Amino acid sequence: MTQMVSLDKIMPQTTAGKTKIEVKGLNFYYGESKALKNISLALPERSVTAFIGPSGCGKSTLLRVFNRIYELYPKQRADGEVLLDGENILGRGQDLNLLRTRIGMVFQKPTPFPMSIHENIAFGVRLYEKLSKSEMDGRVEQALRRAALWEEVKDKLDASGLSLSGGQQQRLCIARTVAVKPEVILLDEPASALDPLSTAKIEELIDELKSDYTIVIVTHNMQQAARVSSNTAFMYLGELIEFDRTEKIFTAPAEKRTQDYITGRFG
Amino acid sequence: MSEHIVTSFDDDLREVGKLIREMGGLAGSMVNGATMALLSADIALAHRVVSDDAVMDASQRELDERAISLIARRQPMADDLRAVVGAIRMAGDLERIGDLAKNIAKRVEAIGHDAVPRDLSHSIEAMAGLVLGQVHGVVDVYGERDAEGVALLRDEDERIDVKYTSVFRELLTYMMEDPRNITACTHLLFCAKNLERIGDHVTNIAENAYYVLTGQQLPATRPKSDETAQPAA
Repeated sequence: MTQMVSLDKIMPQTTAGKTKIEVKGLNFYYGESKALKNISLALPERSVTAFIGPSGCGKSTLLRVFNRIYELYPKQRADGEVLLDGENILGRGQDLNLLRTRIGMVFQKPTPFPMSIHENIAFGVRLYEKLSKSEMDGRVEQALRRAALWEEVKDKLDASGLSLSGGQQQRLCIARTVAVKPEVILLDEPASALDPLSTAKIEELIDELKSDYTIVIVTHNMQQAARVSSNTAFMYLGELIEFDRTEKIFTAPAEKRTQDYITGRFG
Repeated sequence: MSEHIVTSFDDDLREVGKLIREMGGLAGSMVNGATMALLSADIALAHRVVSDDAVMDASQRELDERAISLIARRQPMADDLRAVVGAIRMAGDLERIGDLAKNIAKRVEAIGHDAVPRDLSHSIEAMAGLVLGQVHGVVDVYGERDAEGVALLRDEDERIDVKYTSVFRELLTYMMEDPRNITACTHLLFCAKNLERIGDHVTNIAENAYYVLTGQQLPATRPKSDETAQPAA
């Protein structure tokens, strides 16, 4: 069932600032099955937007459309528009490598490369930029500082990335993402495999990064969505049910389905 | 309202709701008892109201503990969150209503064994009737989850304010007529003020109840007709 989405659903009324990503009439298919149904919403620049909803609701799928990572798999396709600064990234002419430097992604499980901490970060940078050794060292330090990991690893940059704890590995992945200077950071359940202290560090980091980056986070942890985001989208069965300021969603949502989900009444 | 997946969460919320209803019932009976005791110089009844206040205080403490533990353990959201925070605030207002009823009851002994003369007490009795109606009303309409009823009830407080102004003037007149009335009338003035304050707490409860039920705040401005605090022209 498709229907026109009203404007206030596309953009929360009180969100100030410019739109970074605008989704218009997006549908997504895994082969024959339709995973996203006519999604329209606008993500404001330099703020955190959370996607919540039960498993299989399409929130991770929507995130994966933003950097077209789904194209790595056969039979997955999207139609509609996703505008990054007004340009449709779903267009045929889109350079995917360039897109993925502009839109970085961090996954649920930390995915450090089996190489040194320094090299984990330098590797990605080297693909896009020619830097001298001292420039590269500077970039690595800057990225690790940005990811609040520098103090913990500055004396062992040659150690393997795999030798770090889970929380440190996840921050290393964030540092790796930040190092290529993206505009948007996609976080897919970034703290679900971490203990509460490491989770708090990731959330603190998100708070700091949002002044420079547009951040989109998918999370099953509603309290986490409530803590870190400015706007929250609730999705269900491939549809966008409600998109509004986070305070509104968690204190007085407009839709009954949103309310039932966030209060734990979903059957 | 459908049930939570975790059924003990529903039990916790029900307990909080039940405590609020009990406190509301107790507040009504304390206001009623205090007024009856005042009008009929019933000192035994007044003592009962004073001791009921300890029960009210204990209920508020229990509600606070339950609500805080519920927040810590369940992290309520949306309507659940509003219900719990609303309950904490309503319990605060109900506890204050209990204090004010106790204040009225404590004056019964000070006024003495003779019942307050009928012509002095008639207006107080009418005012107390309005206030009691509001206290019972707010507990009932909230229990029925009737947001519109709650909003109407809030605006009813204006009638108490108007009545308070007229009681104030009337008692002043009695005092000027016959200085022997001054002691009794002064006590009655304080009682009237306490009744008026009880009305204000009912207004707060109604505003909270409306927010709990709808997620919206009632507009801040409400008709205000207590003119006794304004300088004479």
